Amino acid sequence: MRSLNIGATGMLAQQTNVEVISNNIANMTTSGFKQQRAEFQDLMYQNIRRPGSQSSDAGTIVPTGIQIGMGVKTGSVYRIHTQGSIVQTGNELDIAVNGAGYFQVEMPDGTTNYTRAGSMQLNADGQIVTADGFPLLPGLTVPQDTITITIDATGQVQVKIDGQIEDQVIGQIQLAQFPNDAGLESVGNNQYRETPASGAPVVGNPAIDGFGRIEQGSLEQSNVNVVAEITSLITAQRAYEMNSRVIRTSDEMLSALSNLR
Amino acid sequence: MENTSLIALSRAVTLQRQMDISANNVANMNTTGFKAEQPLFIEYINRPAPDEKYSLVQDYATLRDLSAGPITQTGNPLDVAIEGNGYFALDTLDGTRYTRGGNFSMDSERQLTAAGGLPVLDDTGNPITIPANARDINIGPSGIISSGNVQIGQIGIYKFENEQFMTQLGNGLYQTDQTATEAEDVVIRQGFLEDSNVQSIVEMTTMIDINRQYQNIQQLMKTEHDRLRTAYSKLAKLA
Repeated sequence: MRSLNIGATGMLAQQTNVEVISNNIANMTTSGFKQQRAEFQDLMYQNIRRPGSQSSDAGTIVPTGIQIGMGVKTGSVYRIHTQGSIVQTGNELDIAVNGAGYFQVEMPDGTTNYTRAGSMQLNADGQIVTADGFPLLPGLTVPQDTITITIDATGQVQVKIDGQIEDQVIGQIQLAQFPNDAGLESVGNNQYRETPASGAPVVGNPAIDGFGRIEQGSLEQSNVNVVAEITSLITAQRAYEMNSRVIRTSDEMLSALSNLR
Repeated sequence: MENTSLIALSRAVTLQRQMDISANNVANMNTTGFKAEQPLFIEYINRPAPDEKYSLVQDYATLRDLSAGPITQTGNPLDVAIEGNGYFALDTLDGTRYTRGGNFSMDSERQLTAAGGLPVLDDTGNPITIPANARDINIGPSGIISSGNVQIGQIGIYKFENEQFMTQLGNGLYQTDQTATEAEDVVIRQGFLEDSNVQSIVEMTTMIDINRQYQNIQQLMKTEHDRLRTAYSKLAKLA
């Protein structure tokens, strides 16, 4: 009975589907999170009679053949990198990218990770760091006695220092873009890593050459659509039940067979 | 003498195969671009003697239900669904393959690829490369890809004389020797995917039906076995 195994592949695939959906729902309020989607593909086919093969010496051909599929597999789980909604928080170090591009984050081992989550902080040395304490690239240090920090749409960071009349420019936030966003590797903590599939990053200043604008005092919310996730969850659960039904039916057929004399 | 058992056996074998096909349909309930299949049975007449004949059942073919699957919105700009009869063409090492699954993405060379990294071919049979400066990618109803006012290419949509002749290779791919012609009367929907056209209720009732028929056939085999046994024992007593 192939149908027993086919039902099992279906249950496995739907389990993956539920796992992906539950991760999306769990991250519905994670800033900068991009929803994922599981994509399924049919498995190979067993050709019991190949379509187009000859069925007689006179050259008559089998119209459609007999091909029996072997079930389903998870083809890919990919991220949908659409823009999340931007909400105002009022915090001067909360920055959101409106458009394409990732913030670059320097990891302790010297490599660069990429993130869309812009809830930045200051560390003890006055450096602008992510919520996990990793410095933003290129590095930006806010001098002491700073009263306000202003980040404009092009990523220029200006500070107003106590006792000075003119604002002082301390640096420039740069963004990175990838040829293929979907090829980035997720490493957790809202961060992504470059892979051969994503291509090499192109670094540039915000608001020009197709890079997104920087919005100060705002955060990008996750792009998870909860209503869509709940309906997908219902579909996945029903599909799971129906695949288990396939297994039960196959089992009943086998049991009828074994009860035969 | 054994004919009844042979007839029952031919039905039991085809029922198992029908169950396999139904199980594959249910497993692919959520597979993008999947088409439900059903077996086609024919009567096979056996003539053991000139004045004697009986029919067996034979599974002759599997037929694909070629109706359109429901189209659902994903919001991904590179997800496209075909409304109407037509297939996307993909370039593989073994030649061109065709698919209904429009969940495309870009590879690191900025080529438009389908699931599995196979390049999607345009209306002239060449891969489509999206320029590095292209941002908001727009795919029109006729498959024309553009960014702003710049036209990048056109996704090729092909149709065939007889879609049932196409061999399935798995991964949503089809192979055929038929000549591909450009499909007309098709509409491309950007940000949508075509779901599987498996109707779960139909599959569930089919499965119940298969199960009951299988039990009936087993009962028939049992009755026939009992009949033969009685006949043999009575004949043995007479001898």
